[in-house]
Formats: sequence, C-alpha cells, structure tokens
Amino acid sequence: MTETAEPRFQLADIQPGYVIIEREMYSKVARSYFSTEPVPPKEPYREGLRVWSFWEMAQSLRFSVRDNQTGETHRFDELLGLLYYGCCKPDSELYRIGELALQNKIFIYVAIAYEAPDGSRLDIPLEKLGVLNRAFNGRLQTKDKKILILPDYFGLYKELSYGQIMLDFGLTAIEDKS
Amino acid sequence: MKLHEIAEKLELEKLTPAFDKEVTGVYISDMVSDVIANAKAGNLLVTVQVHANALAAANLVDIVGIVVAQGKRPTDDVVKMAEKAEISIFSTALSRWQVATKLYEAGLR
Repeated sequence: MTETAEPRFQLADIQPGYVIIEREMYSKVARSYFSTEPVPPKEPYREGLRVWSFWEMAQSLRFSVRDNQTGETHRFDELLGLLYYGCCKPDSELYRIGELALQNKIFIYVAIAYEAPDGSRLDIPLEKLGVLNRAFNGRLQTKDKKILILPDYFGLYKELSYGQIMLDFGLTAIEDKS
Repeated sequence: MKLHEIAEKLELEKLTPAFDKEVTGVYISDMVSDVIANAKAGNLLVTVQVHANALAAANLVDIVGIVVAQGKRPTDDVVKMAEKAEISIFSTALSRWQVATKLYEAGLR
C-alpha cells in the first residue's frame, strides 16, 4: 500500500480576519461575528429594544476543510474558535475530563460557535466536527497522539471569557473579556 | 535534529525538559491563528507569545518545541501545561531574527 503525502482532510480557503465583539448597553450581554475588515461600527446602534456597541476585536481566521478524496468542502463559518481544556479552571468539568483523556494522549478541545442573532448559539453538526477532528488529526506526527474536538455540550459559552478562546487579542497580553 | 541538540547549540534556557523529539522545521510567528493555519507537525516555534493559547495552538498542530525569544517567559501554569503535552519550552534573550539565524546555521531549514 502506498502512503500518500497529503492527508485526506485539509484546511482550505483560509481567510484571515477579525472577531468583532459587541456588548449590549443595558444587559451587558456580549456577542461576536467574523469580519474580513478591521473596521467595526464604532457608533452604538439599535436593534429592537437593545443597543449594541463595539467592545473588543481579535484577529482570527475562517476556514473550510477539504476532503481530498471526494473533493467536497465543508465550511466552518459558524466556528468562533477552539477552547483548549488546559485553559479552563482546574475545578471545571472540562478540565477534569481533559486530564483523564490526557492519560491516553488525547488532547481535548471544545468548538465554540458564534452567537445567532436571537442570542442562541449556532449549531456545529457532529458530522462536521468529525471532519474537523480528522483534519487536525491528519496533521499529527507524534505517535499515539490524538486531538479530540468536542461540541460545547458543557454550555461553556455562557461562562467563559473571550480571552480563553484561541483568538489573537494581542502579542503578549490577552485581557480577560467576559 | 533533536531538541536537546538545538538547546545546546543555541545555549537556550530549558524551562521544561528537552523531550526526545526530532525537529523537522522552524516556524516563526506570534499569532495563534497563523500557527493553526500554517505551522507543521515537527516544527520548532519561535515566538514572543507566552499566552496559554499559544501553547494550545502549538499542541493542536503538533509542534515539538517552543523558543520564547527576547527574554520573555511564560507563567509556571503554561510551563506545566507544556510538560503535560510534552512540548519543550526554551527561553533566550536573543531576538527572533537572531534565533532564526542560529537555527539556520545549525542546519535547520
């Protein structure tokens, strides 16, 4: 059997951009979206009873995963970023699960999705997460090492800070933004 | 080239053990998103970024070691996290450019 140089699943259509984070004036609820331009609306704007204003911005990327066998491309526009278990509090469920998995050289990440306009979270179907897992695992060389990217069954988006998610807030200091 | 050989040649300070891993290339970046998109398994990452998310990104793409340049130092928590992931972290007062030059002279491409 001949080994192929390229893994079956690969990141594709990589688009650098910005995660723009807004905050609602009265409830202080935060929401975010991806933009290719570093120019968020600076003036507060009204949406029904809510007033949103720019709060913070981080550099990030948007990408697809291409299946080199079928030619199919899976877009991950709903993915805000990944959260590494080790960046959570040691007394959290995710951290404890992550430590357990580590004993088998499995490294746990959680896929955090963007917010929908109604405030709920966008859904990343399990099938797509399967593709994402295969894409990152296909890049590994270390023997027995595995990456496991889970859906946010933990509801982490409700309590985590944007600074915990793998985004580029700054070079050497990333402020906690809850 | 093994991590410990690089550490010796560049006189790097070991913040973790030099794990027995082969370095197959070098990637220089301070951006988590750039590392995720472009770094390759087996790379040595040269950076001034010391946030835990830099380590999380390095682990995601199977980087084997990190050289933190310009005298920057990650916190003890990040160092412990790196040890668990068996990613070596070295510190040096050299700039990223100086580190890159020395790695090239050492034979890494």
